[in-house]
Amino acid sequence: MRRVIRALLAYLRAHIGVMLHYRGEILLWSLWGIINPAVLYAMWSSAAAGSAGGTIAGLDVRGIAAYYFGIMIVGHLTASWDVHQMGYHVRSGNLSPQLLRPLLPMWKAVSENLAYKVTTLVFVVPMWGLFAWLVQPRFDMAAWQLCLGLVALVLAAVLNFILSYTVSLVAFWATKLDAMGEIYFGLGMFLGGRLAPLEALPPPLLMAAKVLPFRWIFSFPTELLMGKTPELAEALAGITIQLVWFGSVVVVFRFFWAAAVKHYTAVSG
Amino acid sequence: MDPWSPVSFLRCRKAGRGLQWARFVLLSFERSLLRGRLQLSRRSAYDVPFDPVRDLSWRDDSAGATAKVTLSMPQIEIDDLSKTFSVAEREGGLRAAVRSVFRRRLRKVRAVDRVNFNVDTGEIVGFLGPNGAGKTTTLKMLAGLLHPTSGTARVMGHVPWRRESDYLRKISMLMGQRSQMQWDLPALDSFLVHGAVYDIGKEDYKRTLDELVELLDLGGVLKKQVRTLSLGERMKCEICVSLLHRPAVLFLDEPTIGVDITMQARIRQFIADYNRKHGATIILTSHYMADVTALCERIIIIDHGHILFDGPLGSLSERLAPFKVIKIDLDRELDGYDLASMGEVLSINHRKVELRVPKNQAAAVTSRLLTDLPVLDLTIEDPPIEDVISTVFKQPRASSDTSDDCISDDPGGTLK
Repeated sequence: MRRVIRALLAYLRAHIGVMLHYRGEILLWSLWGIINPAVLYAMWSSAAAGSAGGTIAGLDVRGIAAYYFGIMIVGHLTASWDVHQMGYHVRSGNLSPQLLRPLLPMWKAVSENLAYKVTTLVFVVPMWGLFAWLVQPRFDMAAWQLCLGLVALVLAAVLNFILSYTVSLVAFWATKLDAMGEIYFGLGMFLGGRLAPLEALPPPLLMAAKVLPFRWIFSFPTELLMGKTPELAEALAGITIQLVWFGSVVVVFRFFWAAAVKHYTAVSG
Repeated sequence: MDPWSPVSFLRCRKAGRGLQWARFVLLSFERSLLRGRLQLSRRSAYDVPFDPVRDLSWRDDSAGATAKVTLSMPQIEIDDLSKTFSVAEREGGLRAAVRSVFRRRLRKVRAVDRVNFNVDTGEIVGFLGPNGAGKTTTLKMLAGLLHPTSGTARVMGHVPWRRESDYLRKISMLMGQRSQMQWDLPALDSFLVHGAVYDIGKEDYKRTLDELVELLDLGGVLKKQVRTLSLGERMKCEICVSLLHRPAVLFLDEPTIGVDITMQARIRQFIADYNRKHGATIILTSHYMADVTALCERIIIIDHGHILFDGPLGSLSERLAPFKVIKIDLDRELDGYDLASMGEVLSINHRKVELRVPKNQAAAVTSRLLTDLPVLDLTIEDPPIEDVISTVFKQPRASSDTSDDCISDDPGGTLK
């Protein structure tokens, strides 16, 4: 493990170096992470203001502001994009030099992911502040909700990374995986509560959202952080579900990775 | 006198006392095994008979704690290694494209076909063949990047495609057409990452990097962004990063591709020095014959997945090109002189003539030419190695069913 941490830190430093080099690009990605939920906030807050009770899915305008402010932060900190990139790495053969090294290539992706989040804080924190100042979100969370919310946020980030990376392994068989990346992103938007608060979904879709992992990556930590999960038991149950998902995906990843490398080394390398 | 010293060992041998010699070896093993510090390594015994002084050496350091017995044993062992790929094929055009959706036609391509060879510790072996011959596929199998379809291979006792961490730490594969460097960062950053991934100690890292930077003359490029480096500079960085962890076995796939002649020569010199200094085993593929002639005493020629020749480079010339090329500069134009009777006339260009003559007649023909013609200058050369190797490719290929029967341990090389 010491070796992995040493390699991880070295990769982290290198990736931060790359991101500082391409700071313009990173700024644009950060902006996209702000604009997307900001537009959805504008849409749903207008709908709430125009509705009979002044609420949508149980949230008034300032509640929606808090929800999308939370989604903005959670979406950024849980971002994972390997499902978009793995196809390219496999197709181009870029994976081969990584496979020659005595380190699981996933650790390189972990460090890249962390590097993005660390580097972009410089851009996103002021933008988050500006958004909050403009929309005046209302938070009703207690201290325990904040603490458990932060735990849920970390678990969500880890779960989204490993899930995205595991799904990306399809690229070892399908090679071109761009569409799969879009579907993964779309499912996260729709069933993770990013496009609309989950209560706004029809019951069958709401049921599907609760069964699939995306709700536990995006809307669950957001709701916990904004104080929308009133019961401690409910919060702990949610965190347990996150842990179960994480454990299950790790097991699937281990089998899938071994099969993927074997397939890769059988056909191309 | 210390009975374990090399001198007493030599005395044993000089005296021809076989029993003592055997006793010495057995006791050496026993002593080393008891200490648990036995190190076995191999030296090249490819083209020379076994020599106990050279191949079985004894070193006892002052502390008496480290014993080293060097034996001739292969470090890379390949047995009947084969790799078959399934390649999708279809005719050109839209109709064929639509048809291929419903009925995919796959063709089996045998990239490597029951290849056998061993490589000893410290050997540099040139792996030659035209494009698509199976060279890179073989190297990738040995580096653990490809699973073979059948056959076995062991490198330093490891099965490469198990990809054990211990194995990957001991090897390096340099692919001339694929970069290991961080493209957007200074070369130094890639070296730092490499040092961390291979868990190289701080002191070792600094010492090795300093040495490599000096030998490869990399001082001026370390701080430059890799994408801005010239091809030659980048290749030197690739070599540097490949060697930072001091691999015992190196697979070099076209390490000089695309670089200019001066840089090629430097890279060659560096590879030779690394081999000499660290005793690394190297398998090298290259399309540049100069790489092979400068570095490799032994070559393996592969085509269509079959090994066509395995042996010393010199032996290949002798077997397949038993002739010499005589080049002469004349003082005046030839005037009806019957050059064709001397040998095969390769070219006549004003007063310059090239003749190919059988080796055993070279001396007689030379003497005759010097007598008959106003010769200003005369050289006798071996035919270019490129020509010799082309001859191998033109040889009728044995069928895969029979090719393995031809394999032998003939130290003069085997044409298969």
